[in-house]
Amino acid sequence: MLVGQRSKFLYGGCARAAEISAPRTGGNSTQPATAKSSLLERPTARVRYHNVVPTMDRRVSAIALPAVTLLSLFLIVVSCGEKPKVAEAAARPVGAPITIQPPLGLPPVPIPADNPPTAETIALGRRLYYDTQLSADDTVACANCHNPALAFTDGRPVSLGVAGKTGTRNAPTVLNAAYNTSQFWDGRAKSLEDQAGGPIQNPLEMNQPHEAMVAKIGKLAEYKAAFDNAFGHGPITVDKVEKAIASFERTLLSGNSPFDRYEYGGDKTAMSESAIRGLAIFREKQKGNCVVCHTIEDHYALFTDGKFHNIGEGLDPNGELKDLGRYEVTKVDADRGAFRTPTLRDIAKTGPYMHDGHVKTLKDVVDFYVGGGTSNPYLDKEIKELKLNGTERADLVAFLEALSGDMPANSGPPSQ
Amino acid sequence: MNRSQVVAVIFVTAASFMGGCSRTSSSAPSATKSTAPERPVYFRVDPSAAGTITGKILFTGKAPVHKKIDMDEDPLCAKLHKTAVYDDTLELGRKGAVANAFVYIKKGLEGKKFEPPAEPVTIDQRGCWFEPRVIGMQAGQSLKAVNSDPVTHNIHPRAKVNREWNQNQPEGAEPAIRKFAYPEVMIRVKCNIHPWMKAWIGVVDNPYFAVTGADGSFEMKNVPPGVYTIEAWQEELGTQEQQVTVAASGNAAADFTFKGDAK
Repeated sequence: MLVGQRSKFLYGGCARAAEISAPRTGGNSTQPATAKSSLLERPTARVRYHNVVPTMDRRVSAIALPAVTLLSLFLIVVSCGEKPKVAEAAARPVGAPITIQPPLGLPPVPIPADNPPTAETIALGRRLYYDTQLSADDTVACANCHNPALAFTDGRPVSLGVAGKTGTRNAPTVLNAAYNTSQFWDGRAKSLEDQAGGPIQNPLEMNQPHEAMVAKIGKLAEYKAAFDNAFGHGPITVDKVEKAIASFERTLLSGNSPFDRYEYGGDKTAMSESAIRGLAIFREKQKGNCVVCHTIEDHYALFTDGKFHNIGEGLDPNGELKDLGRYEVTKVDADRGAFRTPTLRDIAKTGPYMHDGHVKTLKDVVDFYVGGGTSNPYLDKEIKELKLNGTERADLVAFLEALSGDMPANSGPPSQ
Repeated sequence: MNRSQVVAVIFVTAASFMGGCSRTSSSAPSATKSTAPERPVYFRVDPSAAGTITGKILFTGKAPVHKKIDMDEDPLCAKLHKTAVYDDTLELGRKGAVANAFVYIKKGLEGKKFEPPAEPVTIDQRGCWFEPRVIGMQAGQSLKAVNSDPVTHNIHPRAKVNREWNQNQPEGAEPAIRKFAYPEVMIRVKCNIHPWMKAWIGVVDNPYFAVTGADGSFEMKNVPPGVYTIEAWQEELGTQEQQVTVAASGNAAADFTFKGDAK
């Protein structure tokens, strides 16, 4: 009962939009239909990553307060007397850990202590990544929105989930996501493992509660051996699914771009003259100063500071913020309208751009920054009009086009 | 007690507290909401007594040589024009008629409050050019900024009395809808991306304003009888004022002549 109740609460908690704007019908009296419809306004489920407390129906709360407190006390008493149930033990890969070799221009891949990648977990994760059975109606896999043919994005402003449902944010590339210090545009997941479970049960994406997903995968004979080989004998769990997918994603690295060969490989002919000038503008404080957020280090470049900035994008016609971004996670005013700095690697292949996919071309992106975005009270101090002539603007585009790397090997759909 | 149970209990308890809190906080605004802000009392013009002010703006100096506009900063803008585009800072019609002059009642309406029109005034970004170049509007009226171009624009009215703002509009963006709360003559408008794009907005707190056409003439109708100071403004020529008296159902004339060569 407890487990059921908890997941219900978490489900209610994911309907955060309901707390902000929609009528307060979600909360603890969760009727799936209500929760779902209110979630339509939000792009992503906030399922496991928030300390979101669901709001109760106001009429109920007056009596619920003492009642629930009593219930809690009762539960404490009862459960203390109970023999603890076996919680889902954290899975650990059983195979030999392997080292993922980063291409030119990338640093060593950060690996969590409890999930060293093995050949078995990577292969299993790859299979899961491309499996539409992870979704409620067997139509949506991770790869639908993070498609290798489109540099692990979907080429759409916002993604399509089950039954053609759309969210409100643009699918970021999975390439080099292994280096991100947080995941999602608002950074609500700490790790790839944390992230992987989110879209599976987001009603707008794969719409499959974890319990149902595990039950479904558990019935498929082809997965049984793969999970056993990867994590040892035992039931299939969400934890294992997330760890396997995360390990596969850690292999999705893209480097050795013309920029990398020019900057780190000593090949001064790797970039065009225009791109070389573009790199200088990208770095120069008085010109583009793009590096202030899209960082370049001495021996590698991730093109992201991992931080959150309001760049004045995605405001409504009245100049009001449509999506509060990071603020939804932190509730800190300064985070209103701030989104995680995305990498610029493979940017030429991952349009349309920005968190809402409203900017179509790289020229539009450069023009966006030349214009200084849209004014709003939370605009980052680094966002201001840029004085760049036509050639300089074109040079910046040429440089961005030089960030297209080699696609990783063994990253497409598995053959069997 | 295992971890999931602890979490559940904390959740249940916290949820009930939250429920309690939201109850008190959300009931507060509904209590105050019943008293709506009072509607301001607007001045109503008596049409049977109202008059008209007409006039013409002239320039006696030599017509300026229009400079060719360089759209090199954005090749897509240049592509939108089959022929060369010329600067139109001072557009003269026949016999020195001044187009794009802004004329308005500057003084004489003190104490009268006029309702801003519900219809917005439109400024279009078309061919990487603001259309029209000079706009008049009432304080509190909406400005609708449209992007009809296949490029990104960033309209930026450099207001000093009103709040300054700018809005990025990629191709196909919804029109921006903004208001200026206070009178301000004139607000210079630029595009942050295309430096040759220029426009001016005159915001006044009465409905008596006009922008001259190619023949340099203007007309203000439905003016209550009174003595007024009229100001004419032109971006290159500067400003001039004169007093006019509008008699009941009368016509008043106010011609302005700017002398000399353009600056």
